[in-house]
Amino acid sequence: MKEQLIEIKKNILDALNDVKDLAFLEKLEKKYLGRKGEFTQALRKLAQLSGEAKKEVGSLANEIKKDIEKKFVETRNNLEGKTDKKGFIDVTLPGEKIERGHLHPITLVQRELEDIFKKMGFMFLDGPELESDYFCFEALNIPYHHPARDMQDTFYIDHKNEKGEFDLVMRTHTSPVQVRAMLKYGAPLRCIAPGRVYRCEAIDACHEHTFDQMEGLMIDKNISLDNLIAVMKELINGIFGRKIETRVRPGYFPFVEPGIELDIKCTICGGTGCPSCKHSGWLELLPAGMVHPNVLKYGGVDPNVYSGFAFGLGFTRLVMMRYGIGDIRFFNSGDLRFLEQF
Amino acid sequence: MYLSLNWLKDFVDIPKKITPEELGLKLTMHTVEIDSVQKQSDKYKNVIVGKILEVNKHPNADKLRLAKVDIKKEVLDIVCGAPNIEPGQLVPVALVGAILPNGLEIKEAEIRGQKSCGMLCAEDELGLGEDHAGILILNEKSKIGQSFAEYLKIEDVIFEVDNKSITNRPDLWSHYGMARDIATFLRTNTTKKFEQFSKPKIKVDAEKVKLEVTVEDFKLCPRYMGVVMEGIKIESSPKWLQDRLISVGVRPINNIVDATNYVMFELGQPLHAFDQSLVGKIIVRRAKEKEEIETLDGVKRQLDKNDLVIADSKKAIAIAGVMGGANSEINDNTTTIILESANFDFVSIRKTSQKLGLRSEASMRFEKSLDPNLCEIALSRAVNLIKEICPKSKLVSNVADEKNFNLNQGPIELDLSWLNNFIGDVIKKEEVIDILNRLGFSCEDKNEEIFVTVPTWRATKDISIREDLAEEVARIYGYDNLKLTMPQVAMSAPETIPEKELVDKIKNILSGGASLSEVYNYSFVGEELLRKLNIDFSKHIRLANPIAAQHTMLRQNLAPNLFLNIKTNQPRYDIVKIFEIGNVYLGMTGEIAKDGGGEEKLPYQEKRLGIVIAGGVKDNVFAKAKGVIEYLMANLDLNVEYNVAGSEVTPPWANKNKVAKIKIGQRVIGFASVIDKKVAGGLGIKKECAVVEVSLKELLETIKGRGDKRYKEFDKFPPVIRDLAFVVNEKVLYNDIKNEIINFHEYIKEVELFDVFQGGKVGEGNKNLAFHIIYQADRTMTAKEVDDLQQKLIKKMEEKFEAKVRDF
Repeated sequence: MKEQLIEIKKNILDALNDVKDLAFLEKLEKKYLGRKGEFTQALRKLAQLSGEAKKEVGSLANEIKKDIEKKFVETRNNLEGKTDKKGFIDVTLPGEKIERGHLHPITLVQRELEDIFKKMGFMFLDGPELESDYFCFEALNIPYHHPARDMQDTFYIDHKNEKGEFDLVMRTHTSPVQVRAMLKYGAPLRCIAPGRVYRCEAIDACHEHTFDQMEGLMIDKNISLDNLIAVMKELINGIFGRKIETRVRPGYFPFVEPGIELDIKCTICGGTGCPSCKHSGWLELLPAGMVHPNVLKYGGVDPNVYSGFAFGLGFTRLVMMRYGIGDIRFFNSGDLRFLEQF
Repeated sequence: MYLSLNWLKDFVDIPKKITPEELGLKLTMHTVEIDSVQKQSDKYKNVIVGKILEVNKHPNADKLRLAKVDIKKEVLDIVCGAPNIEPGQLVPVALVGAILPNGLEIKEAEIRGQKSCGMLCAEDELGLGEDHAGILILNEKSKIGQSFAEYLKIEDVIFEVDNKSITNRPDLWSHYGMARDIATFLRTNTTKKFEQFSKPKIKVDAEKVKLEVTVEDFKLCPRYMGVVMEGIKIESSPKWLQDRLISVGVRPINNIVDATNYVMFELGQPLHAFDQSLVGKIIVRRAKEKEEIETLDGVKRQLDKNDLVIADSKKAIAIAGVMGGANSEINDNTTTIILESANFDFVSIRKTSQKLGLRSEASMRFEKSLDPNLCEIALSRAVNLIKEICPKSKLVSNVADEKNFNLNQGPIELDLSWLNNFIGDVIKKEEVIDILNRLGFSCEDKNEEIFVTVPTWRATKDISIREDLAEEVARIYGYDNLKLTMPQVAMSAPETIPEKELVDKIKNILSGGASLSEVYNYSFVGEELLRKLNIDFSKHIRLANPIAAQHTMLRQNLAPNLFLNIKTNQPRYDIVKIFEIGNVYLGMTGEIAKDGGGEEKLPYQEKRLGIVIAGGVKDNVFAKAKGVIEYLMANLDLNVEYNVAGSEVTPPWANKNKVAKIKIGQRVIGFASVIDKKVAGGLGIKKECAVVEVSLKELLETIKGRGDKRYKEFDKFPPVIRDLAFVVNEKVLYNDIKNEIINFHEYIKEVELFDVFQGGKVGEGNKNLAFHIIYQADRTMTAKEVDDLQQKLIKKMEEKFEAKVRDF
């Protein structure tokens, strides 16, 4: 019995010395150590022994088994080591491809802005894009024959009311959300309303009849004009991630009083003047103002108790500036060559 | 609108140290947006005075000649076609690089083999007149090499005003009005002339004629002034007057028309002159129904009773405030005129000019609501101006002045502490009063409060509340001078809007794991596209004033424009995977209030999610699109199911065999489908397109009120998984089989389809379905127990679906 085991051990060790590849090693492993392997068979016979003999042979068998297993591991390591050293692997090959999708650049910038406002406690609202004349103009202090209606080329819906007037429009600005929000939530109120707006304008590289704006509204006790300018500057710095030089000048919008225009130093030429800023060095970015008392009244808010500010950010323009997009038509083109860049 | 610096200087002292650019900037920062500041001399950049030294024949052309021109620095060879040039003449020379007022750019050129380094200019090429007969010969005072602008003594600067920024300021539509604001923010003075104009005096020379004026409706015409002037001789205006008109972009016509225009640009009041011989007494009345008038532009226009006309007893002679009539027009034989200076209701003027599509400089001003007091200032100025340019003219009538108006000049109570709170910075009382006074307001100081009386030129519509005054103070003080503080308000977490959250989530899931790209499409569609898609557009909402044929109606589905996206991208992509979240608009009443009352509602509009996957035949885009939906719903913790769609949800462009309703529980939230090959071909789409459209409103309903997700304990006992595969007729629905299995026994916890095979060895018209069936009880199930259940299940399948079980 002993001899047999030693014999097998010798055979195995000899055989292992000659092993040249892993496949052969596995064959040997099966031949000797497998369920029906020679060494396994021999071990089974151990059961037939008894007493001292069993004990003696048993401990020998154990030792031999350890040796063999050790040799197997060594041989395997050896072989694998050789393969690793021998085989060249091109580590510069790319990995397995995982496809990615893309969000629209307007969505991306919108989210950045939303983050800024979320931190300041603003809620996000939406409003109908097919809007009534009432909310789009009248409740914003722009009655039917107000010349300010010329400021916006309105798409009217082919539907007339009893007076024979077109009373439905594609909203020309996000400002109707102001009154809708006040009616729904009352004061105090802090909200932004990003969304699509429409102007009846022929399309070219600089003009679109469909683009995006973002309305902002804050109503509370003691909201002042300087608060408005301070928040706007915070917003601008947040958008660009650095301090941007601004200027504030008068602007006229019937739903605010006073109305202001906040310009930023042209981000393209740095203020020296270029075609983008019409050689003025400044870009018009944020029309804003203190909510007109009439608008507060339309919204059911008492102007003797509350005051507030509103602003409308020309969103599409901002995205164009941000990414250096020269042609506004790309946004609604669905062209993946454009969209996949974001 | 254009402003001339020289003209402004008639009314306001502008310190020399302030450059035109600085003035433009200050106007922008305090009053109105200035679009450009243009030195008039820039028009003649690179145009200089040259002296002709020699004139020779052109060797290759009879009508051309070669001139040698001394421009001081050098002598240029210039080819010229004009017959009037001779040696010794001083002429305007446009050098290479000059851009002439008529737009011509001068380049170095070879004309019939002869080099020409510039151009000798005729009058018309320099924008100085119509003459093109010959080169403009300059007088002897000109110097060789001198700039042409210097020779012409052109030194004016023109400011271009953004008209939108003075929509609310009737007083700013003139040099006179603008001067007042400039004097305020520059802290300088208005001129003597300004003060004189502000106190009008109309001197009657001899009252020979009685001018009768009747105003029938003072609401539409609060004031009508008129005078008769005789001794008029119609001719060209003097050059200074013409120059000023040209400088603000107006073409001179004749002395009387020019004078009325001049006064309008100077003072902001539109005037009109009638030929007195063609007019009887003046009646200001509403037009009669279908009354016709031929206006100065030669167009016959039909009016109705909402329009206001100036008439005599027989006929309308002008559309009030919009345009004069041809029948009373000033002509070369006119010797006596009626000069009108009137005020009209802004709404009426606006309605009429909009209806007629006639926007004139006059109507533009009237619709801003002019001060009726301006009529007198302007009439006085016009009479004096006409006397100046038409020295024999005399005012020979009474000064007719029919008026009935009432301006609300306040006073407005301005509480100083309110003002400082509202502006958010402390502006001293003295400064507040000073600013208001300079702008023409009068202030009564009563300690904490100031009672502010509004000047007439700001009282028509512009200023009526304390916030209006706050703007005046703040803009003159300078917005950039305010000390800034962030709002001090109570903290509160913003309320969230479920739809907005859902939209954000969907966008992340689809652009993330599902690797789709987001598109934005127009809300509009056109007939041609819908027709190609077999879509009935009779109930589509239409635009009243569409701007393009492909954008005439509001979309009712996202799919049509998504198909266009496929067309855009198909040449460059094997597979196109896109989605859009956007609004659709249906022709029925919705839920959103139309006005403050809330009774009436807007047309129905909702947000939809649209997905299109387009690829080759082998790409199995239908399955891919459904995969996207399942992935999306799994991420939203929703179980999705498909049902065979009936005709009610089948889009008219769809392949009728490939339409499925998408259901969450019992709620149908949308459909998945594939476009019909023929329809696709008609659109020029070469790919298979699978389309999914989901109503976010419906989807939201399935999520609404759903509690938080709860952790579930692991099963204590191991599940037993058995596979089951069988062949059924291809028309037996997966849904039915799955439901049958899952409902077969309470121990069957899950059914998972892992293989579908159709045709081939399972036989034509059949399909093979293979499922993993997961058995799970509240104890360890024995093999026999599961086997027995599975056997019964098989029997049920055989009975119910005529399924033939395949052995594993």
